[in-house]
Amino acid sequence: MEKRFMKGCEAIAEAAVRGGCRFFAGYPITPQNEIPEYLSWRLPEVGGSFVQGESEVASINMVYGAAATGTRSMTSSSGPGISLKAEGISYLASAQLPAVIVNISRGGPGLGSIQPAQSDYLQATKALGHGGFRTMVFAPATLQEAVDLTYNAWDYAERDRNPVLILMDGCLGAIMEEVELPPMKELDYTVTEDWDLSKRNGREDSHMITPILPEMALEMLNKFKGMTYNMWGMMDVKVEEYLLEDAEYVVVAYGIAARVAKEAINTLREEGYKVGMIRPITLYPFPKASLDNLDYGKVKGIIDIEMTIPAQMRDDIELQVKGRCPVHEYGRSGGMLLDDEGVYNAISEIVKGGE
Amino acid sequence: MKKSFVFSGSGGQGIMSAGMMLAHAAIDTEKHATFLPEYGPEQRGGSAKCTVIVSDGEIVSPLTKKCDNFVAMNEQAYNKFKDDVKEGGVMVLNSSRVTSAVERTDVKVISVPVDDIALEVGNIKVANIVIIGALIGATEIVSKDVFVASLEAKFREKKPEILAMNLKALEKGIEFGKQAK
Repeated sequence: MEKRFMKGCEAIAEAAVRGGCRFFAGYPITPQNEIPEYLSWRLPEVGGSFVQGESEVASINMVYGAAATGTRSMTSSSGPGISLKAEGISYLASAQLPAVIVNISRGGPGLGSIQPAQSDYLQATKALGHGGFRTMVFAPATLQEAVDLTYNAWDYAERDRNPVLILMDGCLGAIMEEVELPPMKELDYTVTEDWDLSKRNGREDSHMITPILPEMALEMLNKFKGMTYNMWGMMDVKVEEYLLEDAEYVVVAYGIAARVAKEAINTLREEGYKVGMIRPITLYPFPKASLDNLDYGKVKGIIDIEMTIPAQMRDDIELQVKGRCPVHEYGRSGGMLLDDEGVYNAISEIVKGGE
Repeated sequence: MKKSFVFSGSGGQGIMSAGMMLAHAAIDTEKHATFLPEYGPEQRGGSAKCTVIVSDGEIVSPLTKKCDNFVAMNEQAYNKFKDDVKEGGVMVLNSSRVTSAVERTDVKVISVPVDDIALEVGNIKVANIVIIGALIGATEIVSKDVFVASLEAKFREKKPEILAMNLKALEKGIEFGKQAK
């Protein structure tokens, strides 16, 4: 495997190319510009196409078009741009088209700030667009994880014929660290054969423009999608469970927040406090069992740490805790970064206060 | 061993490339490193800061409140971040631009007239190399040889005078750093 010292956005872009991405359309927004910048020269090298669209709306619809031909397609943006793409993402879900969407998130709401934040959890996991569809949401915490998840994202998208979202904050987008890059994926074009427009295979009616469906057909589609989401919950949950066996306090955090929290947990462990962590890697499907199966005879509290205020993952946590212990939260927001001292103090106050 | 470095100043002073070069040099010696840039929307003149963490082991959190080694290339950056240096830490200040008296007595202060040295060597653009030199002289976080090798690799395709100027800037910086040790 090839080792490189790379910036988060560029690592995602390179992993996308190696994972088979051959079409990208996007519109500039900080802090994700390095993804389109990188792909603008990298995609042509592998026979792919890069388009800087005239807007977010145009870009997501170009992705729709490219995906309809069975081409592994991608777009990326940050919170405000993802909101603009929302309609298109819902249309992709409706047309059952695979694509990968990357959100390198920043402070919100509104135009917010250009500095990193984890303020798009609810948008990502509950309603990436209208109409009640879901996508898998990958939330890497290291650049290596970002590379691995991006590399395999299309395999999920094509299996489910549904978009996949990668949610990473601007901090991880900008940071540089070492990554091992996997080899170029050999693509199996037969996977998309029975629906992709470029291989009509004698089908008469081959189009991907979703009409106003008859009600019964639409209900069928939604039932089918519901089954897919249930399958994710059973098969595709990814989670890191850290020092849970004897934990009296359990931190729940994802992405950059989880890394800062882990450092604090390590320090608290050295001081003799029994703190562990559940780190969702898939935010959807949410790792329900990890929380539900905790030994609540032992666990005295859950601490939700996010780089957003108020905490957004808290609802999902509480649904599993079911009142069996208190749930606390700590965060920073608006582009103010979490740091080791603040997170340590927050956890420590709860843990030591509980004695 | 894990050490954190904060480079701060304004856009255009080579803050990001200084941090990146240090991180690369650390990686070249089989250490782990993270580089985190923080800057505003401005290309020139705005506040620029980057955090580099160098460690023998895996780097868990790349975000740190207080650093072990702090570089301030101008007065504003010094005032903004001077309290975010650990007790016993090192402050390398560009005395051509940082003019306030240092109040902290719990850190080691190395004042280097970076701009003056850079101009003397030939170009203000090598200011960041002078400051890295001072850091290497004072902390030995990476060996001089490793950094020279990474400079040589970086400027391989440029005119030889450019490399020579950078090496001279590095040497001057190291001298200052060593004196302060």
